[in-house]
Formats: sequence, structure tokens, C-alpha cells
Amino acid sequence: MIAVFTSLIQSFPQAVVAGLLVASVCALLGVFVILKRVVFIGITLSEIAACGVAIAMLTRQPPFVGGVVLTLAAVALLAYPFENRRIPRDAVLGVLFVLASSLSVLLVSQSGFGLQEIKALLYGDLILTSHADLCVIGAVFLPALLYFLLFMRPTLYAFLDREAAYVLGVRPALWEMLFFMVLGITIAAASKIAGTLLVFCYLIVLPTFALILSRQLWLVMILAVIAAVAATAIGLYASFTADLPTNQTICVAACAILALAVPVGTVRYVLRRFRKKEVA
Amino acid sequence: MAYGRQEVLHDVCLEIRAGTLLPFIGPNGAGKTTLLRAILGLLKPRCGVIRTPFHRSPPGYVPQQQSIDPLYPVSTRQIVEMGLFPQLGWWRRPNGAQRKMVDEALERFGLAGHAAKTVGELSGGMRQKALLARALVSGAEVFIMDEPTSELDEQSEKEVLEHFTRLCSEQGKTVLIAHHGIHDAGALAAQVCLVNHGRVRLVSADRMRADMADSKLERTALL
Repeated sequence: MIAVFTSLIQSFPQAVVAGLLVASVCALLGVFVILKRVVFIGITLSEIAACGVAIAMLTRQPPFVGGVVLTLAAVALLAYPFENRRIPRDAVLGVLFVLASSLSVLLVSQSGFGLQEIKALLYGDLILTSHADLCVIGAVFLPALLYFLLFMRPTLYAFLDREAAYVLGVRPALWEMLFFMVLGITIAAASKIAGTLLVFCYLIVLPTFALILSRQLWLVMILAVIAAVAATAIGLYASFTADLPTNQTICVAACAILALAVPVGTVRYVLRRFRKKEVA
Repeated sequence: MAYGRQEVLHDVCLEIRAGTLLPFIGPNGAGKTTLLRAILGLLKPRCGVIRTPFHRSPPGYVPQQQSIDPLYPVSTRQIVEMGLFPQLGWWRRPNGAQRKMVDEALERFGLAGHAAKTVGELSGGMRQKALLARALVSGAEVFIMDEPTSELDEQSEKEVLEHFTRLCSEQGKTVLIAHHGIHDAGALAAQVCLVNHGRVRLVSADRMRADMADSKLERTALL
């Protein structure tokens, strides 16, 4: 097994490093995406980023720039406080999702790209990560990680109790906007190589695993990152040895890891109920 | 003050002296919460000015509803520590004295044994007590509380109201409290603030009690 991993790292060093970086940062941000109950934002921003990449490729601009510009435009729209409005944020996300997904396919169908390029654009392929992709990932993810760790407290308070946070001197609108901007740029950078599905998987599946297992925020974040790294390693290994599509294999590995947490969570829930009854 | 085109309160002219305990009473939907939210700066008045001392020290705020999503894996202690944000800022950890203050606040509201529990594991009353403890540790000069005892049992309600009355009389803190119990409100302070029909006025508690005895309060204030 170690020989296979060594061979994998030697053959595709960029894919391994990029995979681990995308996994860690997306899983970390995903914890807050789930807690904020904006799960749909992950897949929508991924689709919007893919659409931006398609536009950039058609107009011969750098793909990352196209993805970031369109994603940030969507973030600016979504930052509008929908809490007390008749149209919920989820409905706007749904509309943007439908528009971005359709537009991506329409744009690439008119582009004259080959099937492989279209597949890579729409679904991504971690194994094809280039040195340039890795540079973009590093340049975006390390500051994103630093931002997140440095400003976790105001971000958490803004999410946890918006009004109380405002009264205490936190500016919830600002911190929410900054979080979604970091999320948007991260997703735009990750989508080019990881594709919509894998980015969404990192944002949702593995943080869910961590939330089932732990009730302490720091532990949830650490568990989410460990699980994401494990899913990536298992997926890359299985994909390399059995010649399977990389991204989808990692997604299945992530779901298998999540499945492991379900019985643990169920047992814990039953025990808690039992203890509560005993106390009563 | 208004929500969109719907005007809730108008011609409000209110001066609240420091060190006052002022209960806000009125029927559901009268605008008590709107008025308190406006004082907190959460709602901008359509016209006019609200002057507060909150630039010096943020108020201790206890919201009406269960404002914290039970999904969050944060402990009761972490919720109470949130009240220390004005002193701690973005990065600092609570020092010994601040941790002691949190312990005392947890103890005062009977949460010492539940400090490690998450929001989802607390009952409605305990969550409300956690929010009260959070307001208390903030070291605020002004406390603004919107129905802070609505989820509490009778004994806890009495203790909480007594505690904030003492804070006012012994430490000179200002306490603004939207309260559902007209009888209790009259007993809490010398003056009460009646909110109804979009208007706000201060009434002496003695007069309110006299009105209540004559059953006039329903006519004068609540209808």
C-alpha cells in the first residue's frame, strides 16, 4: 500500500498536494456553511464558478479570473439580508443554480471544445492538476485559511446570534460578506480542478460527518479536515489502483466515511435520551 | 419607527435617566420590541434621533426569541463568554478574572452544572438564562431585555427580576425591560412605559395600580 502511495505521489505530485489542500480548506469552510444552513450555496457557487470559467475560456481570459469575477458578483447579490424578505435566500440560490448550470453547458456546446475539455470544465479532474493550477490553489487557499483562523471569533458570533453580535460591536453584515467572499474565491479556485461535485462533497459530506461525531466546534473543524484528507487519500488510492474516475471515487469514499459516523451518532443519541429519562 | 411601509410607532419622545429600571408594557404587537430594537440601534427610526451612551459601553442585550440555532456545537460557557467580546476583541482569551466572572454568572443563573452542554441540549428556560448570563458578564451600564423571563418558571422569574432590580438600585445600572406581566411591572419600578396604538408614554406605577384597581387600565392603556 505504501508503495502504491509513493508511486502515486511520484506520478501525480500536484494532484496529491492540490487534493489535500482543497479537501482541508473546503471542509473547514463547510462546517460554517452547514451551521449557517446555506448548504445550497456550495453547489450554486461551484456552478457559477464553472460558468465563469467557461466564459473566460470562450473569451480567452485566464479561467480563474472568470470564475472569481462571476462568483464574487453572485456573493454580492447573496449578501443581501434575505431574513425578513418574502423571497428566501434559498429561492435565489435555486434560480442562480439553474441559470449557471444551463449557461455553462450552452456556452461550452458553442465553443468548439473537445469532449475531454468539456468534461474537465464541467466535472473537473483532480489527477490533471497542473503546476499553474497548484500555484493558484496555494495563492488562494493559504490566505483563506489564515483569514478563517484569525477571524473565526467575529465570524462565529455574526453567524451564531446576529443581533446580539451587532449590539456587542461585531458587524454581522461585514463578516458574513467577508466569509462568503472567501468561500466564493475558494470555490472558484477549487472548481477548475476539483469540479462542482467534489467541491460540494468537501463542503457538505465531511463536515456533516464531523458534526455527527462531536459537539465541540474546534473538534468538529479538526474532524472535518481529517475526514476530508482521509477521503482524498482513500479516493486517490482506489482511483489509482482500480483505474476509476478520481473525483467520483473520492466522493464515494467521503460518503462511506459519513456512513461510518451514522451508527455512532445513533448510539450516542439513544444513550443521551436514556440518560435524560433517568434524570427525569 | 416603521417596518417597510407599516408604521409601528410615531411621535415618540422619551428621556430615560441613567440608573432607572423602566418596564415597557403593552399588548402583543404594540411596538415594545420595535422600540427596544430602535434604542439598540438594530432598527433605524424613519425620522428623529435616538441618543444613547452605547459608544462608551455596549448594552447588555437579552433578545425575545430563542436567537441561537441549536445546531451550533457551542457550549453554554461559550455563549456566556460572547458577552466579553467588547473586552476581548478578535483574538484575546479570557483572563482569570473574566473566567471567574463567567463562572459567577453561570452560578447565579443555575447553569454551573450545564456549562459544557450545547445550546441544543438546554431547555428553553436554560437557554434564556444563558442569554441573561451573557448580558450580565458584558459589564454593561445599560441592560435592554425583551421579555427575558417568558420561558422561566415563577421562582426563576422572581429571582431574575429581583437581581436586575438590585443591579439598578445598588450599582446604578439602567434596565429597560419589555414585560408581559402588568401586575409585576407595576411592582418593579416607580414608572412604567406604556406602549400602545403606536404611542409611547410614561405613567407612574401608582397611577397604573389605581387604574388597574378601577379596571381603567384596559381602557386607558391596553385597548
